[in-house]
Order: sequence, then C-alpha cells, then structure tokens
Amino acid sequence: MAPLEKTDLLQGTLDLLILKVVALGPVHGYGISQRIRQISDSVLQVQQGSLYPALHRLEKRGWLAADWGESDNSRQAKFYRLSAKGRKHLAAEEETWNRLSRAVELILQTAE
Amino acid sequence: MGWFKRRFRRSDDAVEREIAFHIAEQTQANIARGMTADEARRRALVEFGGREQVKQTVREVNASAFFESVAFNLKAAARFLRKSPSFSLAVILTLALGIGANSAVFSAIDAIVWRPLPFPGGDELLRLSQNDAQGREANHFVAPSRLEDWNRMTSTFKGISGYYLDDLSELSGPLPEKVTLALVAPRFLQVLEVSPALGRNFTLEEEHFGGPDAVLISHAFWQRRFHGDPSALGKKLRVGSFHYSIIGIMPASFHFPNRDVDLWAPSPPDAPYAQRRDATWFTVIGRMKPGVTLNEAAADLSTVQSQLGKQFAKPDSELSVTAEPLKETIVGSVRGSLWLLYGSVSLLLLIACSNIAALLLARTAEREHEIAVRFSLGASRRSVITQLLTEVLALALLGAVAGLAVAAAATRGFHLLANTLPRADEITLNGRVVVYSLACAVLTAFLCGLLPAWRGTGTTKGHGLAQSLAHSGRTQVSTRNPMQWILVSVQVTLAVTLLVGAGLLVRSMQAIGRVSPGFDPRHVLTLQVSGSWGETADMKGVVQRIDRTLDGLRTLPGVEAAATSAMLPGVPSKYQQEYKIDGKLDPDRKILADSRWVSAEYFDTVRIPLLVGEACRQASTTSDVVVNRSFANLYLGGTGAVGHTLEQAAHNDFAVTGIVRGIVGDAREQGVNELPVPTVYSCFSAPNPFPNYLIRTHGDPMQMVEPVRRRINELEPNRSVYAILPLEEHLEDAFADDRLRTLLLSLFALTAVSLACIGLYGTLSYLGRLRQREVGVRLALGALRSRIVARFLWQGLRATAVGCVVGLALGMGLSRLLAGMLYGVTALDPLTYVGVLGLVLLVASLASLAPAVRAARVEPVKVLREE
Repeated sequence: MAPLEKTDLLQGTLDLLILKVVALGPVHGYGISQRIRQISDSVLQVQQGSLYPALHRLEKRGWLAADWGESDNSRQAKFYRLSAKGRKHLAAEEETWNRLSRAVELILQTAE
Repeated sequence: MGWFKRRFRRSDDAVEREIAFHIAEQTQANIARGMTADEARRRALVEFGGREQVKQTVREVNASAFFESVAFNLKAAARFLRKSPSFSLAVILTLALGIGANSAVFSAIDAIVWRPLPFPGGDELLRLSQNDAQGREANHFVAPSRLEDWNRMTSTFKGISGYYLDDLSELSGPLPEKVTLALVAPRFLQVLEVSPALGRNFTLEEEHFGGPDAVLISHAFWQRRFHGDPSALGKKLRVGSFHYSIIGIMPASFHFPNRDVDLWAPSPPDAPYAQRRDATWFTVIGRMKPGVTLNEAAADLSTVQSQLGKQFAKPDSELSVTAEPLKETIVGSVRGSLWLLYGSVSLLLLIACSNIAALLLARTAEREHEIAVRFSLGASRRSVITQLLTEVLALALLGAVAGLAVAAAATRGFHLLANTLPRADEITLNGRVVVYSLACAVLTAFLCGLLPAWRGTGTTKGHGLAQSLAHSGRTQVSTRNPMQWILVSVQVTLAVTLLVGAGLLVRSMQAIGRVSPGFDPRHVLTLQVSGSWGETADMKGVVQRIDRTLDGLRTLPGVEAAATSAMLPGVPSKYQQEYKIDGKLDPDRKILADSRWVSAEYFDTVRIPLLVGEACRQASTTSDVVVNRSFANLYLGGTGAVGHTLEQAAHNDFAVTGIVRGIVGDAREQGVNELPVPTVYSCFSAPNPFPNYLIRTHGDPMQMVEPVRRRINELEPNRSVYAILPLEEHLEDAFADDRLRTLLLSLFALTAVSLACIGLYGTLSYLGRLRQREVGVRLALGALRSRIVARFLWQGLRATAVGCVVGLALGMGLSRLLAGMLYGVTALDPLTYVGVLGLVLLVASLASLAPAVRAARVEPVKVLREE
C-alpha cells in the first residue's frame, strides 16, 4: 500500500472529487462546485477559494484540459475535461482512496 | 519584458472572466430560488468569498508556469545572488578562473592549431621536400632546378616556390646592421597570395639572372630604418656585395618564413651557379589548385619526380618526395603540449564544477523549506529545478564574463611567448572564444547545478508543506551524505591525476638538469658573424676569413679557446648520414651517424675529451674526421678506428671523405635529453658562411662581449655580429617550451589541489554545523572529544583516500599520453606516485583538521538549550 502519510489529505481529496466530477463530461467551475454539493447531499461544500486554485493546478499538471465555450445560459465559460493522463491518475487515486477508506472502516469497526 | 507582462495579464483576465461567470451563474440560481436580483448577487458574492484572494492564489499556481520563462527565473536568480553575496562571489571567482583558463587555452588552440595560416587559402599551402633513397629526410632542401621542374611538370599545383635564409649585414648605415634576407624562388608572393602593402612585387626581369637587384622590406625593418616613411621606396640598400633597390614594403602581418626576416630578394633559377641538381638550397612551398587533396598533390609530385629520375639518373632517381601541409611544419611541434594543457585546464574546470556542486548541495538542503513552499503552491518539480538551474546559470554566466577578462590577460601572456610558441601573435580574443566561454558557462551550470537541484527537490517533494515546516530549523540531513563525499572524492581524483602528470614532467626536467652532457657548456660564449651563401663560390676565401677571425679571438686576453661549428652542442638538431668505411658499404647493415662540422679547437673549447689519436689539426691539408666512442665501438672495432677512411654514401655539397684521426668521448650533441649517438666530426671551420663561434672564456662569458665585438669589428668591419649568447642559455632555450609546459601544468595541478582542499574543508565544516546537535548530545552522554574529532577526520580522509586511489589509477592510465614528453623517468615512476600520494594525504589532513576540531568544540548545554 502506498504510504498515505505522504499525501496531504485535504488537498488530495479535493483533487479526487474534481477529477471524478470532470470525468463525467466537460464542465465549468461553477458546475463542478454544484455537482459536488448535489452528489454529496450538501455534506461537502467546496470553498471557491480552494476550487479555482485546485482547477488551475490540475490543469497545470496536465490532468485536466480546458477550453472556453458557451454555457447553458449562453455565457462564455471555461469548460474542463479529463485528459488521458488525468484519467490514469484518477484511477490510481480512486484505488488509493478505496484502500484507505476500507482500512479506516476496518479500524473503526474492530476498535469498538 | 513586454511579452512577459502581456502574457501575465492575459492569464489574469481569464481568471477574472472565470470568476465572473461563476458569480453570474450563482446569481441566476439564487434568482431562480426566488431572491431579488440585488439580493441574489450579494449572496453569490458572499458565498464566493475573497475574490482577490482566489485570484492571487490562482496566479501563484500559474506563476510556476512563468518559472519556465528565463526572464522571470533570472530575476529570481538576481535576488538569490544579492541575498548571499559572499557565496556568489566565491562561485563566480572559481568559475572565472576555471572558464578563463579554459578559454585562454582554447584561444591558443584555435589560433595555432585550427585556424588556417594567415594567408589567403592557407590550407592549400604545402611544404614539399626531397628525401634520399631510403626515404629519410636528410634535409628537406631542394635544388633550384628541380624546383623549377616541379613547378613546370606538376598539374595539381597553382604554383611552387621556395626560399632560403641568409644572415647578412646591411652597410648603408653608419654601422653594419645584421639583417636576415630571405632569398626566394620565382613566384614567391604569388604562391602565398600576398601583395606588398606599398610598392610592387618582383618583375619577371628581376627574377632572372642578371636582372636589376630588387628587394622587398618587412614592415618592422621599414619602421626601424625609415620610421615608416613611404619615400623608402626606391632607396638603395647595400647588403653584402649587392646594391638592392627597395621596390615594396610588406604588410605588418606578414612574417614568412619567420618573424626575423627583414628582406626578401629573388634568387634567380637561371644563374650559372644554380644549375647543379645535387645542390640543395630551397625550402619549397607549393599551393594546390582548389579542390585538390593532399594525397592527389603528393601522388602528382611523386609521378613527376620519377619522370625526373628517368631523365637524370643521378641524383634524381635516388630521391623520393614528400608533401605535408605547411601549417603542420609550423605548428606540429606544439600541438601535443597544447592539447595537454587543454586537458589539464578542463580537469581543473571539472574540479571547480564539483566543488561548486558540493556547495550548492549544501545550500539546496538549507533551502528545503523554500522549495517545499513552492511545491505546495503547485509548482512542478521541473519548474523548481529550472529555477535552481537558472540561479547557477546566472552565476556561471557572470563567471564566464570575468573569465573572459582572465583569458584576455592570458592572451597578452601568450604574445610574450612568441619565441617559443609559433603563431603566438595570432592569438586573439575573438567571437569564437567568447561563444566558447559562454558555452562553457552553460555546460558548467548544468554540471554543477543539475545534481543539487535534482536531489534538493527530490527529498522535499514527497513531504507536504506541513512536514517541511515542522522540520524547518532542525533539518536532519542524513549523516552519511554520500553525494557530498562522492563530490569530494571526485575533486581529489582529478587533482591527483593532474598532480601525477605535473610530477612526471617536473621529474623529467630534474633528470635533464642532472644529466652530464659529455661537454662543458659553462663559460662558453657563442655568436655568429654575418655572411652569405654567395661567398661559398670561393670556399677557400671563406675558410681563410673564418680562420683569421678565430685566430684574432684566440689572442684576446680572457679567451681560452675558440672554435666554430655548424650546430651548437646540445641544441636539438639531427643530421644523420650514411657512411662508407674504406670505400665500401657494409652489406649487412647501414653505417649511420650524426654528421657534424667543427673547427680544430672545438673539442678543447667545449671540453669533449680526446680518447685516442689526435683531434682536428688546424690548417691540415688532408680531410680529417674524428669519431666519437660510440661510432668507433659500433662500426670500427674500438680503438683500431684511427686510420680508416670514411666517406658519405650520399652525394651532396658537403660530401666528405676523410681519414679518422682520433676518437673523442661521447657527448649529447643532439640535445641534452638525447643519448649520444654514433657521430662523425668533419674537421672544417667553414661548414656555412655564418657558422656558430664558440669562445671559451676564463670568467663570465658575458663580460667578454664587448672585447669580442671590437676584435671582430677590427677584423671584419663590413660584417655584423649577432646572436651573442652564452652556450648555457642556448641549452636552456632549447627546453623553453618543455619548461613552460611543466610550469603551467604544475600551476594547474597546485590550483587543483587547493580547490579540492577547499572542497574538503567546506564539506566537513558544513557537516559539522549540521551535526552540532548530534555532537552536543553525544558529548552530553559522555563521548570523548578526541573520538569525535577522529570521526570527522576519518570521514574526510576516507573520501580523500578513495579519490587518491582512483586518481592514481587514472593518472597511470593518462600518463601514457605524456610518454613522448618524459625524460629519465618512466610513466609509472614510483617516486612520483608515492610523492603525490603523500602530498595529497598531508594537505587533506591539514584541511580536515580545522573543521573536525571545530565540530567537536560544541557546548552541549548550549546546543541542547537551543532545541
């Protein structure tokens, strides 16, 4: 198992959620924040202060690609989509996340 | 910087638009939930939070993209340099020396070895020589009529010409002035494709026998005699028995065949005295037609010579020919030395590089925190490495600029070596050298910067910012630090390699200094008296003149003995000839001997002992020869040599038949570094019109210069005396380039050792600082200070020892390159290797001791309290 202590948990989590949402199809920043809130039943509310830097960072790393296009409301918006590299990264991150959550669950159950 | 700002602003605009879109969408969603437009927008803004803050953070994320732009990086680098001026200065100075020395040697190689000769199409020029039947180049001179045949019959040459030199006196001034006259075959300037700067070239009429006597003068002579006055054209010069009219002045840059030539005058090939095919006069140069290769030209010349062989059975059928690039004949001798120097300055630069790399490793470790912050802001590893490299590049470029100043100074130094170094005056600091220096800087930056940058970013990358911040202030670098020690070992290795080379050369010079040459060069004054080859038409007259001068010198008070010789003893020269003994060639072996011409008192003058028989007799009517012991033992069965006759197998102007009168001791006539070879001395005081006079004096030979000058002036008022030097100085000059090579290499080697020691010292000091806490804890727990000192010392010495072992092995491998330059020591001379090992271990111990002691001098309480 990959050493988890080396991953900044919060940052890694947000990255994972963004990548997952973007994997569904090209989407703009506002869309991503809405989608995360909807899917998590409003449990997770993404601060815009972290969302946009994260988007730009992921774009810079080459996991996301972005184009300007027209939104549903006919406004110019920056649409993000997953690159091939990002797809691979997402798969790896998901795997890591699943292992972590299984392990945490296991501990929580057995420690009772 | 304009594009840079534009690009920055464009990306800022995009972020602004993205945020505006977000807020607009949110507003619209809020309206859809039933808010008023104002309320919807207000809520959207509130929910978004600090807009400027988001923009700033995004900008920082994107800023890492700009790290890749050199402009930004250089700005950051400038900040870095200003922040640590002493570190920067140390690096810049080290690189200035490293790159400067490298560029200086490069400029010399470029000017001497690579650039064509300073004539148009210099690479088309060849030197053409005739060899005897055995292919040996007894001398490379060529008969005038053969030169004309070659010029006429070859098809691959634009033209062939040649020259020989006379040292004469110019007599139109108040005192005879010694001038060097180049007597040139027709087409001389056409072949070189050079024109006079003023005046004109020789006419066809002037190049024929009986034509007007015309002369071209050198720029230096024009300045010296006529102070650069153009009215010198048309003036007359009285040189020897000729009255020449000055028809032209050569450009200042024209120094062919050498720098000493003052005058050029035609030597007509149709003169009656120039018709003998066995006369050898000219050094021949030819210019190939464009597109002709050296091999084609050589083949063409060989074909022509074999045709001549059919026409003139004697001597042309016995001759073969060679053609070699003219440049090779001029610079071939120093090429090896130059590459040796280039190799050593390159090693020096490598040492400087690894030195700086070690410094940077330490610095990068100290900057772990800064690097971690960059990473957490989203910078990629590549961009951080680029940033770190740019800092080093900035240092290296500054170093290269300072290095160019060093190279410029070195260039002036080279110009002073014009006597030792051919083409030294052509060495300049040109664009190529500048480009080379800059290329050096870039390469250096990568060599020193890449490793520290790679390692510095590698360890931090895994850590989050949190860890790095937690660790900051008590950076726990691995105590082993293998990379630092590898760098120290590399420096020691290279320094040891250089030291081995320098040590071998120094030992060679010592060995040469210890050699007993078989003659005594002390208290011997040498000089020459001007004369012309033309005088040799009356050989008896020349002999009488020289003998009269010798007699006059001998009677001077303070003079013990005086003699003439064609070549100075111990000054490198070779003139090997094949001999017949008693008129017969030995069928089994060739009888080869160095052939020298000396006057009667030669052996007394230079104190070569007479072993058997008698030395040359003055005014002897027979042709006498004296042989050395090697010759007698090898060819004539020892002491029974006296009475045999010797005859030169080849035919030429100076073919000698003589009776062996005596045997003398072996002397290192061909050079102090050459073992004595079988030698035949022909007793003849006038081997050429301007032989070397050797005068043994009672005291300091230079004290006798004035009396000797006056006496010769009384005897020969129309001749000038020149090249007045003690024999010992000639011998020293003969090794001037060897000495220079040794000196430079030793200098580089010592610099290398100093750099390696500084590296060792710096690394150990740095580690001592890093491990202060550890040492404090150890001391608190009762460790002995001496043990701690020993541990640090041991670390330094272990790296040194590894470097020494590898360096000695490398030195052994590379010393083979020196093989041709060594004398009296083998390339594996044990004393040199042991000496180098001892020296390096000694200075390394000294360099390690101070930091080791300092590292152990920690106050445990203080360190523990600081934590």
